[in-house]
Formats: sequence, C-alpha cells, structure tokens
Amino acid sequence: MKLEQALEIQAHADGQLALGRRAEVDRWLRENPVAASLRTELVTVRQAVREHEPDAIVPVTREFYWSQIQRRIAVEEAALNRAAKTGSISSWVRWLAPALGVAALALILTLKSGAAGGLADATVMTFRSDNDGLTIHWIN
Amino acid sequence: MSAHEHAETRKFPLNNANSSPSILESLKQDYLSAPDEALVKWSQSGNTEAFEQLVFRHRDKIYARALLMMRNEEEALDLSQEAWVKSWRRLHQFQGDSSFATWMTRIVINLCLDQIRRQKKVRTESIEQLDEELGGVERQMAVDHTNPTEGLEKDELRKRIDDAMGKLTESHRMVLVLHEFQGLEYKEIAKKVGISIGTVMSRLFYARRRMASLLRGLQRERTED
Repeated sequence: MKLEQALEIQAHADGQLALGRRAEVDRWLRENPVAASLRTELVTVRQAVREHEPDAIVPVTREFYWSQIQRRIAVEEAALNRAAKTGSISSWVRWLAPALGVAALALILTLKSGAAGGLADATVMTFRSDNDGLTIHWIN
Repeated sequence: MSAHEHAETRKFPLNNANSSPSILESLKQDYLSAPDEALVKWSQSGNTEAFEQLVFRHRDKIYARALLMMRNEEEALDLSQEAWVKSWRRLHQFQGDSSFATWMTRIVINLCLDQIRRQKKVRTESIEQLDEELGGVERQMAVDHTNPTEGLEKDELRKRIDDAMGKLTESHRMVLVLHEFQGLEYKEIAKKVGISIGTVMSRLFYARRRMASLLRGLQRERTED
C-alpha cells in the first residue's frame, strides 16, 4: 500500500477526508483487508490514547506552587506599572521636546541679534485699551 | 481599558485583609463549592483568592498536559506556572466560549510550542526525524490484525501509553497531543505548528503506528512473562 493511500485511510478514520475521495476510500476498505485492518488499528490507537490520557500530579506542594505564581504575577505587574510610568513620562517629553527646541532657537537668535547690536535698533510700540482691559506690546 | 489601567485594578495580593475572620471563612467555603464560572467571574474582577482556587482545582491537569509535551518535570512545572500567570493577565479575554480548563490547556500548549520552537533553533534534527522524512520503519510495517490494547487494564494501559509517548520524537508527540487531546483538526495543527497539512498527516500516521507497535511489544512482553 502506498503512503498516500494509508494517509487517506487515516483521514477517513478521522473524518477529515475530502468529500470527493470518500467513495474511493470506502471501496478500498471493502475490497482490501489490509486497508481495513490498518483503519481498525488507527482507530483503536486513537481511542486508547484519547481515553487514557497520561495524568500527573504537580511535584511540589500546592502552597509552594501558588506562591511562585503569586510572585511571578507581582513581578510582572510591577514591571508593567514601571513601563506605564516610563511611558507617560516619555509622552510628555515627546510633546515638550519640540516646544523646548523652538524656545531654545528663539533664545539663541535673540541673543545673537542682541550681541550684534540688533537690540539697540529695536523699536517698541505699546497699545492699551482700558475698555477692553487689553495691552499689546509690539517689538520690531 | 489599557493594560496599565487593567493592572491597576487587579493588584496583588488582594484585598480581603480587612474583613473579619468569620467572613473570610465563609468566603473560603464559597470558593470551595463555587463552580468554575463563578470563580472566573470573581477572578476577572481582581479576586486572587478565587483565582487561587482555580489554580488548585486545575493545576494537575495543566501540569500533566505540559509534561506530556515536554517530557521534562522541571520544564513542565515552569511552563504550567507561566500558563497561570498568563491566564491571570488575560482573564478579561475569557468569554466562556469553552470551559475554563480547555482555555487553560490551550494556553499551556501554546507556551510548550513556543518553548519547543526556541529549543529547536539550537538543536539539529535527529537521525530518527530524518528517517521519518525518508519513510520511517513504521510506515512500511506490516499491518497486524491483533488489537494492540487488548488484555491491558485501564491503569496499566494509561501507564503504557505514557511510556510509549515518551518514546516518540518530539515532533510526532506534538502532533499526537494536539490531535487527540486538544481535539484540533489537521489544518489547525498545521497552522499552529507551522507545517503543511501533509506533514501533519504523515507525522500523525507515524506516531499512531509507532504507538501500536510499542503497545504490541508490551503485550508480547506480558505473554512471555
């Protein structure tokens, strides 16, 4: 028997054979005793394995087992909180960085133009409206 | 709700520290008798004692499933505990579509698969695996008409199956566990393990034939004794 046939017999036993192949495999099983025996063997093993899943008992006390889980959760949550705090700080930095950059640039330009005597030429105009409670300083 | 907010609302350890001893005692009784669904609900709202009860209830099954995959007690213990940690973190995702135990076994199996993948990166394929790719012995083995499980007591058969599974290669055992115990279809296994459906079918076939052969060998040993 070819491997492909054997695999189709297995798929037939597992209910996963393509519909179009069923009639052909049914015929093999009817006509070929080796094919039928193979199917029986595969089904027997499948059933035996499913019904007799090996069991096991945790080899440490329940208290110790649980305490280790608790410790891991605590460590993980602490790390999560740290990450969340770091995340919120870094988001502030993300927002502040461009503003700080612009402010620094403005300061440098101001100082530079001041050093070149630019401030000496500056003119200042002030407008004040008492009615509106508004004061505007215009520096040129 | 963000992961951070979620962590904030479910601090460890909890919470009943200010309760009187009689209230604590009655709560313990509630946990013992409560169904999984109730324990899951309480755990989802941050109750670690309810979660602890779930751990006590299902720890052996989760450990057994990990041991079946890994065949190593230390790794199985570690991965089973990791599964509980992961489940605590993801408890809000559990919708009750399956039983809690089924959901937990899925988590532990996924952790085992990840671990096996990591280990495989540093390990070369064994001669046995190469032999399988070329057409292993069990594929060509003549079909025996005798029942490989006949005459074996339930407990003995369980033990024999465990021994036989230990003799399978990791890749064959993996496919067998996913198919027989996790109840996955060929295509689901293929997706999970990252192999073709054809390889799933041939590995499953090889695993079953080898199991049959090993169980028959054990039967023969018995009759000779």
